[in-house]
Amino acid sequence: MNDRILMQLNSIETLESIQIEKLIKTKWNSFASTQIDNSDIDSNVFRLPDSVKAIDGIHDLTSYHKDKKATIGFILNTEKGRKIEVIDYSDIQNILLERTGMGKSGETYLVGQDFRMRSESRFFPHKKPYDITVKTKGVISALKGVNGRGILDDYRGIPVYSVHSLIKISNLKLVILSEIDVSEVTKPLDELKRRLTTLTFVIFLVAVTLSLFLTRIIIDPIKNMRNSLRIMAKGDYHQTIEYKRSSSEIKEMFDALSQLKASLQGAVKFSEAIGNMDLTTNYQPNSANDVLGKSLLTMRDKLIDFKHQEDNSRTISNRLLVNGLENERRRLSRELHDGVGPYLISLKYYIENNVENALEKTEMKRIVDETISEIRSMSNALMPASIDDFGIGVTLTNYIENLNRSTSISIEYEDLTRQENSNITNHQAINLFRICQELLNNSIKHSKAKNIRITLSEFDEFISLFYFDDGIGFDINTVKLGSGITNIKERVDICNGEVTINALPGNTTFEIELPIEL
Amino acid sequence: MNEIRLIIADDHDLFRNGLVELLKKHEDIKIVKSVADGFELFNLIKEGFDADIVLLDLTMPKMDGFEVLKELKNLEAKIKPIVISMHSAGNYIAKCAKMGAYGYLLKNTDESELIFAIRTVQKGKKYFSAEISEKMINFMSAQSVSDGVLSNKETEVLGLISKGFTTKEIAAKLFVSTRTIETHRNSILKKLEVKNTAELIKKATEINLI
Repeated sequence: MNDRILMQLNSIETLESIQIEKLIKTKWNSFASTQIDNSDIDSNVFRLPDSVKAIDGIHDLTSYHKDKKATIGFILNTEKGRKIEVIDYSDIQNILLERTGMGKSGETYLVGQDFRMRSESRFFPHKKPYDITVKTKGVISALKGVNGRGILDDYRGIPVYSVHSLIKISNLKLVILSEIDVSEVTKPLDELKRRLTTLTFVIFLVAVTLSLFLTRIIIDPIKNMRNSLRIMAKGDYHQTIEYKRSSSEIKEMFDALSQLKASLQGAVKFSEAIGNMDLTTNYQPNSANDVLGKSLLTMRDKLIDFKHQEDNSRTISNRLLVNGLENERRRLSRELHDGVGPYLISLKYYIENNVENALEKTEMKRIVDETISEIRSMSNALMPASIDDFGIGVTLTNYIENLNRSTSISIEYEDLTRQENSNITNHQAINLFRICQELLNNSIKHSKAKNIRITLSEFDEFISLFYFDDGIGFDINTVKLGSGITNIKERVDICNGEVTINALPGNTTFEIELPIEL
Repeated sequence: MNEIRLIIADDHDLFRNGLVELLKKHEDIKIVKSVADGFELFNLIKEGFDADIVLLDLTMPKMDGFEVLKELKNLEAKIKPIVISMHSAGNYIAKCAKMGAYGYLLKNTDESELIFAIRTVQKGKKYFSAEISEKMINFMSAQSVSDGVLSNKETEVLGLISKGFTTKEIAAKLFVSTRTIETHRNSILKKLEVKNTAELIKKATEINLI
């Protein structure tokens, strides 16, 4: 860039120096050709020494001017006499004022051999040029005959781009310099530099801010994820952290994390359910590699097996227990009926045979009869002999007939069991009898029912006991009734049957189904 | 006056003795033997032992009263059995009556009734007291004996089906579960060899079931 500026300055300087030389030469030629004798110049202004007057040619007469005004003069000694003329310096000054392409600080000026300025300074317009000393490197080298260019300090001591050469015409030696302040040339550059710096700084700031922001965007979710993972590592899978999903990769990571969480939650829920022995819960393993899920499923299946075994053995032990109980009842019932009964009858006969007093006899026989009747009903309640001899259908017929005599409730019983070749086992018969006893007992004691209807049906596949009363019903969840319902359920259970209870006011029903065991 | 020859079959010594003591007072009755079970009784009968009446207990070891009744009927023995039992239920009475018992007495029956029963039976009549008869009849009336193709219950269900009631309505009317009605319905279809309700109604009308 320096070269370009210097080249431009050079061309300006060359142009101007040519103009000046041309001007001076033109003037000289016209001076030399005039015949007018004007040998004297104003001696008040100039004090030309004779030695100078004797030399022909073009002179720099500034130093001889009284006010040191820049002056170029012509001297010619001919046979006709001496001719002296001072040219109008303003022409030269005008040439120098041409500053096209020189900017604000550019100027072209002339310096004499005495290192004093010969043209008006742009920077000191009120100073006389002669008073300005210009002993710069450029002037010195130009006076030595070396035309040069470069960045030098000018007469103000300010660095300038400078082009200098010597104008040498006849006796006239003037250094012409074209200069422009480095600061002006570099001003746009500096501006640019400053702008660039500012821009760089702004970009830097923006970059830093942006990177901080981006870092936050990326780091925060990762931090969240880390925290989430830590909480999960401690075993809590229920935490809910809201994520801002800023990029698809992070979103995918979070999706993966929440999938992991969901799957762990599923496994945890499942194991909780298993822990609570809720074995109907199912779990879908997440993939073929879901070892945790698979082992949980295996565990559940094992537990189901264990539970089945436990249930079975409980049913069996219940059955054994109930059988033992029923056998004991049967034994006691027989004992009463067939053992104690006949003794009492014997007593009655004894009374009949041996008591003389008729009144006493009647009274004693009455008491014995009542005792026998009591024994009979105790025996029946314990275990009606009828169950073994006639089966459940007939036994219930008798039982309910007896009951109808002692209660105001109307009990209707329909026996639809097979009279011959019934497939109801003795075990089922006893349990059905006990269930009916329990149901009747509950209805009579608690239900305030007016009507009870019982149907016992035997089919090829199953036995159905339907029980209805029009009492007040009960809440199946809170009912206690001396654990009557529980007993019924247990007895249905040990017969592998099912019971459906519908306990509404005015319409309470028990539907019991037992399978036919062949 | 003809003497009534009596056998007592009961496993209780004390009872037998008491009965013997009681009957001794009555000159027309002679207890010719007392046995502890049906087996002993049959040995006597097979030996040609002559007796008019046996007072028979139902609950006995080796051979119980029912078996004795059955055998007596089979052998067409002339000995007339009067059941004397602790069981007061109608079904026992009905069964005994069915099996050829001439009378049914409860063990705690009064002397007068016992004597009356023995004398009645001796004349070839049967004796069932009013109380015993009532129990027997009550029991028998509760028994639903069907002589048709369909059971009484099935006929009843068929009637309600033909009137257009739903299974649920029928179940509510008859106080049984819906599954019971379903089962009845299926066995009706099976027994009448039809496939659906429409055919069922048609067939039932044809054979005058409804």
